[in-house]
Amino acid sequence: MQDPKLCATEKRGLHELEAGKDLMGWDEVTQGSVLPSFEGDASNIAHLKQEERDYSHFNSYTATVASWRVQKPVFNIDVCIDCQNCWVWCPDTSIISRDKQMLGIDYDHCKGCEVCVEVCPTNPKSLLMFSEQEDLETALSQWPEKKKKEK
Amino acid sequence: MAEKFDLNEREVWDGNYAASQAMRQAKVDVMAAYPITPSTPIVENYGAYVANGYIDGEFVMVESEHAAMSACVGASAAGGRVATATSSQGFALMVEVLYQASGMRLPIVLNVVNRALASPLNVRGDHADMYLGRDAGWIQFGAFNSQEAYDLALCAFKVAENHSVRLPVMIHQDGFITSHTAQNVYPLTDEAAYNFVGDIDPVDDMLDFSRPVTYGAQTEEDWHFEHKAKQHKAIMDSVPVIEEVFAEFEKISGRKYKRVETYMMEDAEVAIVALGTTVETSRVAAMKMREQGIKAGVVAPRVFRPFPFDLIRDALENVKSVAVLDRSSPGGAMGAFYNEISAALYTTPKRPLVTNYIYGLGGRDFAVQDAIDIYNEQKANADAGYITTDIQQFSGLRGPKLGFFQTKRS
Amino acid sequence: MIEIRWHSRAGQGAVTGAKSLGDIVATTGKEVQAFALYGSAKRGAALRAYNRIDDKPIITHEKFMYPDYVLVIDPALAMTDDITMNDKETTKYIITSHLNKEELIKEIPALEGKEDRVFVVDCIQISLDTIGRSIPNAPMLGAFVKVSGMFELDYFLENMKRVLAKFPQKIIDGNMQAITRAYNEVK
Repeated sequence: MQDPKLCATEKRGLHELEAGKDLMGWDEVTQGSVLPSFEGDASNIAHLKQEERDYSHFNSYTATVASWRVQKPVFNIDVCIDCQNCWVWCPDTSIISRDKQMLGIDYDHCKGCEVCVEVCPTNPKSLLMFSEQEDLETALSQWPEKKKKEK
Repeated sequence: MAEKFDLNEREVWDGNYAASQAMRQAKVDVMAAYPITPSTPIVENYGAYVANGYIDGEFVMVESEHAAMSACVGASAAGGRVATATSSQGFALMVEVLYQASGMRLPIVLNVVNRALASPLNVRGDHADMYLGRDAGWIQFGAFNSQEAYDLALCAFKVAENHSVRLPVMIHQDGFITSHTAQNVYPLTDEAAYNFVGDIDPVDDMLDFSRPVTYGAQTEEDWHFEHKAKQHKAIMDSVPVIEEVFAEFEKISGRKYKRVETYMMEDAEVAIVALGTTVETSRVAAMKMREQGIKAGVVAPRVFRPFPFDLIRDALENVKSVAVLDRSSPGGAMGAFYNEISAALYTTPKRPLVTNYIYGLGGRDFAVQDAIDIYNEQKANADAGYITTDIQQFSGLRGPKLGFFQTKRS
Repeated sequence: MIEIRWHSRAGQGAVTGAKSLGDIVATTGKEVQAFALYGSAKRGAALRAYNRIDDKPIITHEKFMYPDYVLVIDPALAMTDDITMNDKETTKYIITSHLNKEELIKEIPALEGKEDRVFVVDCIQISLDTIGRSIPNAPMLGAFVKVSGMFELDYFLENMKRVLAKFPQKIIDGNMQAITRAYNEVK
């Protein structure tokens, strides 16, 4: 069972991505609506993992859209074959994979779109949708059996 | 190391060649272009300078003017000194990206060789394309001859790239009339020109890997307005920088530019307000009027954007009758230039009489005699104390007299 | 101010001729203008090119002019184009033709009474002989130098060499011969 805050830092999902919040006047917005992604010198960060980078408040890393979700995907590591299909398809880079090993979901950025479940090729699927309030342990205990081929 | 280009102290250049030499001397890094008449030689010559080793730059061939300006946006966001040229239909196709360039605060320099917009198809000079870009958030300079097309192109880089401006700049010259008329041009040496323009000091450049940035963010109703207001403030605030750059240019060239040029206006009773080569032709007419005892003068915005609302009032508030000349088909309104001048003059105590002439469309010759006829009508207005003609008239048009609206003053 | 109007066909080099003339006149310290009325015209279409020369900067941009010189570098245009348009009592004409002056004026009634202001030179034949192609602009410049008396021939030739510097030596030599011959043959 994954940690709900898998790989998270203090900054990840810090503020709600929502219209009408933190508004500022014309004299405070950035020139040309150009937005820097990082704090400080970012010269040598290409090889660093997300949680090792110092994202700026303009970067979506620091925002969360968790509240947009009504259903959440749950990851079952026992069935997963690390094919990376979910990682490729996720529109919000919310699949956390390290060294081609699927570790779980970034629940700060997942909007619950279900694409990962759709594209999962295993039998049974390694990702399934559960209601938002279901805890991960209960969800995993309800995992279906492998579907038998019809003879 | 770039090859040395031989220049004489006095050259005979047309406006296109003059502008292309300014591009070479400013050492433009990237020019992305889709050449179009009558601006073709500007980009063609830049390409030749690159190919022949006179400049270390990149000529990017693209599939349309939309792509040309898009490539300029990319190169400018990357941090390069970027310029291109276009006209007419090409300008029209660029318009979408012009707004992107100014919104992203990219200091691109665009040489616009003004040409009429189809239909009917026409390759000659009028200001329809320039008007199409007037709300695009670009600073707009107007050259009245080849020398100015060169001088203002050099000034354009220095204004655009100034950190308190960071806005794209257009330099307008009249298609064929300026672009293809060879005249005496006195260029700066390569050293003097480059020392004046200086190296570009990029801002938010995408090739700065220590500070990755996002360009082209989406801003809906809760942010867009603030960004556009900030951009408008920036172009309004570019005035002192423009004046500073003109003053610095005068020091090295002896040639003085002002946001609004005035000729014989000290005691003028009647005035023509115009753009482009018409300004100079009208000066010839004004001198002839003065020989007849009629106090005529000429007023011309050198900087069309930011619009010199202040200096227009200063120049014209004591004139009795003003003719504003629009070289663009107004499409169902008074001329746009007329409206802007009128708005400025409405806030003066004496509110001079202001009339509108549509003229010179599709390159129709504007002769000295045409300007004299306009001055004579202004003189009649000044004497009567009200506008004696239709408020909007057409100058140099064949067929029955065409005019619209009459004054309610008497 | 001296004003010059060229009558030509696209491809005969009137625009280049006008620009070369402007270039050379400018070296004497004068202000010049060289422009043309053309655009999307095809090769062979009639066009007009113009020069203005003055001691002070030229600020008029009208195409309209009362020419001091009319240079016609196409023989047929002399008959079909309105070459005397807006002329003055003093306007001088230099016309390309294989005809002599009397024969030519007989063909162009508008030139009657202007005999002492009409000069004839066969620029087409001269350019064929010297340059090898029908490019009558260079010989017309030679004839203009003679008729106007604006330059010494040698001064003009030296400067023309500079204008033509980017061309092969053979072309430069041909142009020099063309200018010199027309200078000597214009009547």
